[in-house]
Amino acid sequence: MGKAHSHLPLSMLLMLAWRNVWRHRRRTLITLSSIAIGFGLAVLFIGIGDGSHNSMIRNAIKLGDGHITIQPESYLQAPANYKYISDGVTLSTALDALNINGSVSARISLQVLASTANNSVGAALEGFVSNNDQRQQMLEPLLIDGSWIEAGDHRGIVIGDGMARKLKVKVGSKVVLMAGKRGGDSQAQLGRVRGIFDSHVDELDDFLVLSDLQFAQYFLAGEGAIIAQAPVTRFAVFLDDPDSITYWNTLIKSAIDNDSVAVLDWQEMMPQLVQFIIIDDAGNYVFLILILIMVVFGIVNTVLMSVLERTREFGLLRALGLGRRHLLLLVFCESLLLSVLAVVIGWIVGGGTHWWFSQHGIDFSALMPDGTALMGTFMDPVIFTELSWDRVTQLTTIIFVTTLLSGIYPAIKAARITPVEAIRT
Amino acid sequence: MALLTLQGISKHYLQGELQVNALSDINLNVEEGEFAALVGPSGSGKTTLLNIIGGLDAPTQGLTQLNNTDITGLSEAELSDFRLFQLGFIFQAYNLVPVLSALENVELVMVLQGRHANERRERAEHYLQLVGLQDIMQRRPSALSGGQQQRVAVARALAAGPRLVLADEPTANLDSENATALLDIMHRLSHEEKTTFIFSTHDPRVMERAERIITLHDGKIVSDECHQRHHEPTI
Repeated sequence: MGKAHSHLPLSMLLMLAWRNVWRHRRRTLITLSSIAIGFGLAVLFIGIGDGSHNSMIRNAIKLGDGHITIQPESYLQAPANYKYISDGVTLSTALDALNINGSVSARISLQVLASTANNSVGAALEGFVSNNDQRQQMLEPLLIDGSWIEAGDHRGIVIGDGMARKLKVKVGSKVVLMAGKRGGDSQAQLGRVRGIFDSHVDELDDFLVLSDLQFAQYFLAGEGAIIAQAPVTRFAVFLDDPDSITYWNTLIKSAIDNDSVAVLDWQEMMPQLVQFIIIDDAGNYVFLILILIMVVFGIVNTVLMSVLERTREFGLLRALGLGRRHLLLLVFCESLLLSVLAVVIGWIVGGGTHWWFSQHGIDFSALMPDGTALMGTFMDPVIFTELSWDRVTQLTTIIFVTTLLSGIYPAIKAARITPVEAIRT
Repeated sequence: MALLTLQGISKHYLQGELQVNALSDINLNVEEGEFAALVGPSGSGKTTLLNIIGGLDAPTQGLTQLNNTDITGLSEAELSDFRLFQLGFIFQAYNLVPVLSALENVELVMVLQGRHANERRERAEHYLQLVGLQDIMQRRPSALSGGQQQRVAVARALAAGPRLVLADEPTANLDSENATALLDIMHRLSHEEKTTFIFSTHDPRVMERAERIITLHDGKIVSDECHQRHHEPTI
């Protein structure tokens, strides 16, 4: 016998597979529809998840300390009023020299006791430069009484309505802010309420006291800081392009080159928020797994039925000289085509749905009458679905690989068919 | 030397706890160009013997030599290639791949053989013309009658250039007119192409066209006779 072997060109393989896929048009369409609808739903749910997470992250970054924070080395682990950057001028100059695409805000954070004649509550004093801070842009529209601190107003403070209730103060009232000093002493400054906001976030409304940077610097001066050097607790960097965090983080670290300060991204600053998002994402993945199970059953059902129906035909092909390997490839190729079609149709359905909701949003306010506060931040009540290219690649790969894996069993079953048994059926 | 030699072929299998002797000690030589019929009642072992000759089934014991190759010693992959290049098959029914046209069905085996596209197209059209289907070669099997489908199978078997064509009851599902026409085509092409045909049947119309009749009964050859053909081809 010669060394001639059977030969199945790719064009023939694809042609046979394509025609076999459409042999039972209705069945194929039903399978594809179910996969596409499932896939579309998965895209929508993950888009909503990402949209709400990103909304929370954006708000948390604005209300918090920016995309990148530069603060004393040990501050994150053990915040204390005496931990501050004494020479804010030098650091600010170094940051300015980087021409960061975004803005940089100098801030002072202090743990204080806010007191009036009626009550005393623990508070977080946040001093910043008025009219030049993202936090102001977030909270100013939420003022329910009074006005924002004017530039140069060194005694004015803005507080949340929760704190105002506890201290029983209103706009114009005086509040004494007392801060502990290193060594056990304390110091106090008098502030006057200029405005009261209501963010519906308890962590902000009950504890936050906002002031001009200079007001907060009085406390640092009490700790021994030199005002002329513009002492601050931190610099908050807000980037125009959030995807450039890693780039700027590295650049800032190398530009500062100072072991006494830490350069942290928002994920390092807000680990609880990151954990919350990971856990919430896990819920979305459970939904995705359910979709995948549906996809697997759809493909296995369609291809396996198709294999079982064609036992005699496979026997004929084997008798004519088609090798097991080619038969396995043929059936696998049918699954591959179903997968490609499912992914394409799935993306048309899912992508279309996502596009619509990314433009028009979904209003969740009716579902959350008590507000959308979570993890010290809040979600916008109207969620615009978001999908990153990473997600697109991830979803496509997951669905594609799953559908391909679903085709393995039917393909093996087809390849195991022996001609003589198949022809007898 | 004979094209096909069977020596001491036996095939036993278990049906429940009962051993069935499908074939017992079959010895047979078939020369090149013969037009031979395996006849006998149902269960006599015709199909089993054809399957063993075609390498679709393995004998329990014995030797099958085809074109100087002992096919009982071949691996499954080698058998598959052997069938592709040496044998043509015509089955009783479901002979064609439903998603391919008549022309593509005839080309299929030549595609697997790796023949050039022009050559296989030329040969496929030629053989479809020989079986009288030149006008409907683009039709799919579902648009062909049973007789036309069997003719496509004959064209496919011959177009690939096999040494031996095995046909298992090729006329069983055909009416008298179509059966006669198919047999005449097979006989004519057997002579024109000098291709050996072995076909199983229990149809008297088929038997009287065979040049050699090998009769099986209970898995044994009970007679082996050469006949003169009485009928001339009708097409």
